[in-house]
Amino acid sequence: MGFKEIASSPLLYGLVIVGILMVAAYAAVFLKKAYGRCLALGFDRKTVNGVIKSSLTFSVVPSISIVIGFLTLSAALGVPWPWWRLSVLGAVGYELMAADMATKGMGYESLAAMAQANDPKVFGAVMFVMTIGIIGGLLFVLVPFGKKLTTGMMKARKSTSTWGVVFSSCFMLTMVAVFLPLMVTGDPVQVAVLATSAVVTVLLGLLIKVTKWAWLNDFVLAITLIVSMVSAVGWNALLH
Amino acid sequence: MSKKDNAALTPGEKYINWVHNFGRVGIIVIILYMLCMPVITCAVFDCFPPIASVLKGGAGVLALFIPLGISEVLSYTPIVGSACYVTFLTGNVMNLKLPCAINAMKLAKVDQSTEKGDAISTVAVAASSILTICVIAVGVVLAVPLNNSGILQNESVQVATNYMLPALFGGMFLGLLGNGGGETVIRKKLLIPALPALIVLVLGLMGIISSGMEGIAILVMLPVTLLWARFLWKKNIIKVEPNPDRVDPAEEETATEL
Repeated sequence: MGFKEIASSPLLYGLVIVGILMVAAYAAVFLKKAYGRCLALGFDRKTVNGVIKSSLTFSVVPSISIVIGFLTLSAALGVPWPWWRLSVLGAVGYELMAADMATKGMGYESLAAMAQANDPKVFGAVMFVMTIGIIGGLLFVLVPFGKKLTTGMMKARKSTSTWGVVFSSCFMLTMVAVFLPLMVTGDPVQVAVLATSAVVTVLLGLLIKVTKWAWLNDFVLAITLIVSMVSAVGWNALLH
Repeated sequence: MSKKDNAALTPGEKYINWVHNFGRVGIIVIILYMLCMPVITCAVFDCFPPIASVLKGGAGVLALFIPLGISEVLSYTPIVGSACYVTFLTGNVMNLKLPCAINAMKLAKVDQSTEKGDAISTVAVAASSILTICVIAVGVVLAVPLNNSGILQNESVQVATNYMLPALFGGMFLGLLGNGGGETVIRKKLLIPALPALIVLVLGLMGIISSGMEGIAILVMLPVTLLWARFLWKKNIIKVEPNPDRVDPAEEETATEL
């Protein structure tokens, strides 16, 4: 059996489907437990359901972009493996990069060239490389230190000194401090889209204040994302 | 832990213990399954690659992505809290899970690193994960007709997708830099990210760091932000005060109904 036959084999489909069902069940258990915890902490159902609605509507567009990444990968690696990699632990950017680097490391010019060579052992190597590369963070940090990290943050926040509040804010603010300058020094379309996103968010906030359409809060992130992504097409035509 | 010890715990402590126990066990089980997949496939089709091929193809990937993965878990776990297990296991953290968690806390008007913030983030991230799994499954089923229609290869769709992160972050960052709906605010909060942002800007203009290195940059800048924030806090330049914009969600709902 060659590379392509293994990449599309019923065995691999079966392994992937079982794995994805396991991960979906894992997420469902967390959802049920956390939902119950929210109610116990005093949230009303309307608020929690609103958060779920907002998360679902917002998640559609980024999920579609993951499907685009899947179509790119599946052209060379078949359907099941990219389906698995993009549903569990991976991210579109990582999987495309990892597959490309693994390919070039083995001496092929591209993913397509590697698939053309049809060597089954190469597919095996790609599977191992893409798997081992992604589990580092979970194995070396999350599993041994996840509880300490999260409970430590909560303790810091609860401390009577106001430093706890400042300390816990520093993580998100560091994220802003890193991403914003890198985006601003990137291409001008990126800056324009960033600004558009900020303006749309402000306008929606004002609309909600004036109209008292509290239900619109659940859709602000999704609307901002779609409008700003559409604006990227216009900005790209204008600035490039 | 014995039943007697467990009975002495508060509901909050029981929940935290459950999250971390289930989270860890789940992660380990799924990682073992992930590692078994290439082993089973190679065993059945007799295509085990030579170790040299794996090392040759993997050296670059491992050198880049292991430190990146570690830095991302260290940087983002304090933000998402106990939602970290389902966040990292289902992936797509930057473009999907992190914004979901931040948005959830904003909508529910709670702060991060609190019990409420943790619980609502977990709800948001878990719901998002299930939807993403379903959308990708639909994409898989429609893969052939989608490819043939050319709609996803359309240039405008490609351009729009390329700018998804700035489309997301503009509004999200505005919220993070504002007062938010939590119980407290930090006066002159913008001073905290100012210094690390300046350093990143200079390093970015010098070409020392660039897009793609955000995880490592966050890890490196975190001590800078913490030391700088500590200095500002000790000198009373930044202060923590009750949030004047905060409206109790129950009061807000009553006002809307009236």
